[in-house]
Amino acid sequence: MSTPARPDVAPPEPWAFPAPAEHRLSNGMRALVYRLPGQHVASTRIALPSLLSGEPRSREGVASIVSRTMDEGTRSHTGEELAELFERNGIGLGAGVTEQGLVVEVEATTARLGRALELTTECLGEPVFDGTEVRRHVRQRLSEIDHERAGAASRAALEWARTFYTDDSRGSRPTAGARDTVEPIESADCASYHRSWVRPEGGTVVVAGDVDDAAVVDELERTIGAWDAEPASTATDLADARDVRDPQSQRIVFVDRPGSVQTEMYVGTLGPNRRAEGGWAAYPALSFVLGGSPGARVDALLREEKGYTYGMRTVFRPRRHDGVFVAAGSVRGDVTAESLELLVGVLESAAEGFTQEETRSAIDYIGMTAPARYATADAVADEAVRLRLDGLGTGFVTDYLQQVRDLTPERLQEAWAAVVGSWTTVLVGDAEQHADAVRALGLGEVTVIA
Amino acid sequence: MPLDYPIHQRTLDNGLRVVVSPDHSVPTVTVNLWVNVGSRHEREGKTGFAHLFEHLMFQGSRNVAEGEHFSRLMAQGARLNATTWFDRTNYFETVPTGAYELALWMEADRHGYLLDAVNQGNLDNQRDVVKEEKRQRYDNRPYGHALEEVYAAVFPAGHPYHHSTIGSMADLDAASLEDVHDFFRRYYGPNNTVLTLVGDVTAQDGLAAAERYFGHLPASAESSRGPVEPLEPLAAPVRVELTEDVPSNRLYLAFRLPVAGSPEFDAAELAMDLLGGLATSRLYRRIVRREQIATSVSRTAMGLVDGTSLGLLVADVSDDVDPDAVEEAVCEELVRLGEEGPTDVEMETLLNDTERWWLSALASHDERADTISQYTLLHDDPQYVNTYLDKVGAMTPERIRDVAARWLTPQCRAVVAYRKEAGA
Repeated sequence: MSTPARPDVAPPEPWAFPAPAEHRLSNGMRALVYRLPGQHVASTRIALPSLLSGEPRSREGVASIVSRTMDEGTRSHTGEELAELFERNGIGLGAGVTEQGLVVEVEATTARLGRALELTTECLGEPVFDGTEVRRHVRQRLSEIDHERAGAASRAALEWARTFYTDDSRGSRPTAGARDTVEPIESADCASYHRSWVRPEGGTVVVAGDVDDAAVVDELERTIGAWDAEPASTATDLADARDVRDPQSQRIVFVDRPGSVQTEMYVGTLGPNRRAEGGWAAYPALSFVLGGSPGARVDALLREEKGYTYGMRTVFRPRRHDGVFVAAGSVRGDVTAESLELLVGVLESAAEGFTQEETRSAIDYIGMTAPARYATADAVADEAVRLRLDGLGTGFVTDYLQQVRDLTPERLQEAWAAVVGSWTTVLVGDAEQHADAVRALGLGEVTVIA
Repeated sequence: MPLDYPIHQRTLDNGLRVVVSPDHSVPTVTVNLWVNVGSRHEREGKTGFAHLFEHLMFQGSRNVAEGEHFSRLMAQGARLNATTWFDRTNYFETVPTGAYELALWMEADRHGYLLDAVNQGNLDNQRDVVKEEKRQRYDNRPYGHALEEVYAAVFPAGHPYHHSTIGSMADLDAASLEDVHDFFRRYYGPNNTVLTLVGDVTAQDGLAAAERYFGHLPASAESSRGPVEPLEPLAAPVRVELTEDVPSNRLYLAFRLPVAGSPEFDAAELAMDLLGGLATSRLYRRIVRREQIATSVSRTAMGLVDGTSLGLLVADVSDDVDPDAVEEAVCEELVRLGEEGPTDVEMETLLNDTERWWLSALASHDERADTISQYTLLHDDPQYVNTYLDKVGAMTPERIRDVAARWLTPQCRAVVAYRKEAGA
């Protein structure tokens, strides 16, 4: 038998993000229900616009501790009892805080969704913030801080934010708090934050799975919809502060790790948010073309040609106000300076433009991977929540995918031209061995820190 | 809940086992191949080779140019990759329905005719990339060598699981083009491979496409060896003490477990969950929540087919707490599980927690396909996706207790203990 001929590819049918059924619950919360046949586990997300500006400066991290201790005891159950109630019903619960707000994640089989919503509502509405549990979670966060500092990639990200933003900007400091502000957090701090900022107002609940819309709304009304926080004593809106780039941030910070066999590189600058002029579509395409695959420009050189890295990635990260662009990854220690020069060279030379073929591959990749990227209940719910906290609906995905199809090399070049340059760079590696060579590149002032 | 994912299977004349599981909810198809070769097949002096080889599979083949596998498929909307593990190597992509035949054609080309494209240049380059992978994932991170230490402590020298998949860099340096050719001829071929298609394809079309694109390949792989003899639990504790620049004192407690695919392994996996896999697990409750002598505890049950599996408990010790106190508490809970099996509430928790994670895992085409390939290649059981929850439902507390009493005792533990450097 002979080798068959390379088959042709039939183009995919147009695709749209699943449309939710939208409701307004009696307590004012918005409910979005995505019916996804075959998804036996329902993913629920509760998103509250609890911005970090609600944290006292001396207790930064309290929002995260609140998110981690709401299920550690309520007026009705102890933390251990709650853990058992969740787990014996097979319900997975998690919660965390981002720059955009507080998100509670609940995973349960569709049959147990009602029970999951009951327990989650109890945690949101009547947590007691038992002192022992708060102290335990504070200690766990302190340990987590040590681990974040010890990992090269996480240390680079922390140091980059600290360098990039002014000291007054909340974004310059870790979302979940630093040692000096987490250490003093007590039960009263959690209760106070919760009372003021963990409230139904402005909140959204998303349910995705093989569920019946009407039945879910009934369950939501019975549970989350009946969550009715006491009136806030201080009825002020949270300041929506804008993080500001430090005018001195165009430089290189080298975190010294004596003996490191690799250097972690983290190179970034300001980027757009999702409401960018000219549309968001160009930015995922640029991420793909620059650093989204082994064949993308960065890895084609640093990985496939040079063999200096296991792989580097570029990403545009939208934020509430200004987003960021970051290229990051680790390279062999002894080629630190050469790799940085090559990386910056790839990024800057891209200002000269992109080929038709690159543009086409980005359009096709982004457009055609969407059905698989959003095929599961958790992926749909996660995207819905991310966008909701940014003031957008999931129609945004369908719309920007439409825009992606119209991208041209000229549009990519124009979008990249507005981003490229004025890099803030963090390197984590053996500074004694490599800092001088990095200085010699002339890419900017180099500061070595421990 | 009873599961009924459709399973259609056929073995081609050349030995390729094909499974098709139609699901038209999303207009994509996952193409997933498992090859029965992993680091367990590597001989002394040739470690790391299965993984290096996986990298070479992306460097072109007879009719596919270097780098084209990634670029062409991604431009058709594919998300793709490959991984290497002790027991096997897998290759997979999820593509829009209209591109699945192209994916099959490209997979068949490299699984049949890789050697036409392998040369010293791409061998040298990918060897460098793999070295950076090792530096990134093992050498340049805290606790990065822990698992290598665990494997070497639990499995005797010469055992298939004694060395890690990443292998030795000296061995990789010694690898020649001739080794690459030998390896391919020995292990790669339809008669040593499973192909699974999950998604927007009918059984008839999927099986016909498998025949069309793979049917012409010769049954070229050598016949595979049988599994090595099972090991007994360790006869006495083994200990490795490491003092390094790490953020916390950390304990890895490792155990031999029964071979994957056996009812005893299923019981052992649940025993590990009960010890360290839940917020209500016995260790979390005791050492993290109540006594607060640890800041975290986790567990892994690695099901392995060469006679013996591996169980692992990992605990980060709280600052100012003696790690020995944590180890002692863990040992007490091991003994207690072997004496007092799970309670009714614990059994209910295990069943319902397993149901949720299993259904979550099968929710996506790609993970469902990977699971089907796994159980077809290693256990000849493509229906496993549908029957696993029934097995868990039939589990008894006595079986979990008994497996713990035999395999999870303090006496048969291997400990890899990390201590922070003084002053760190």
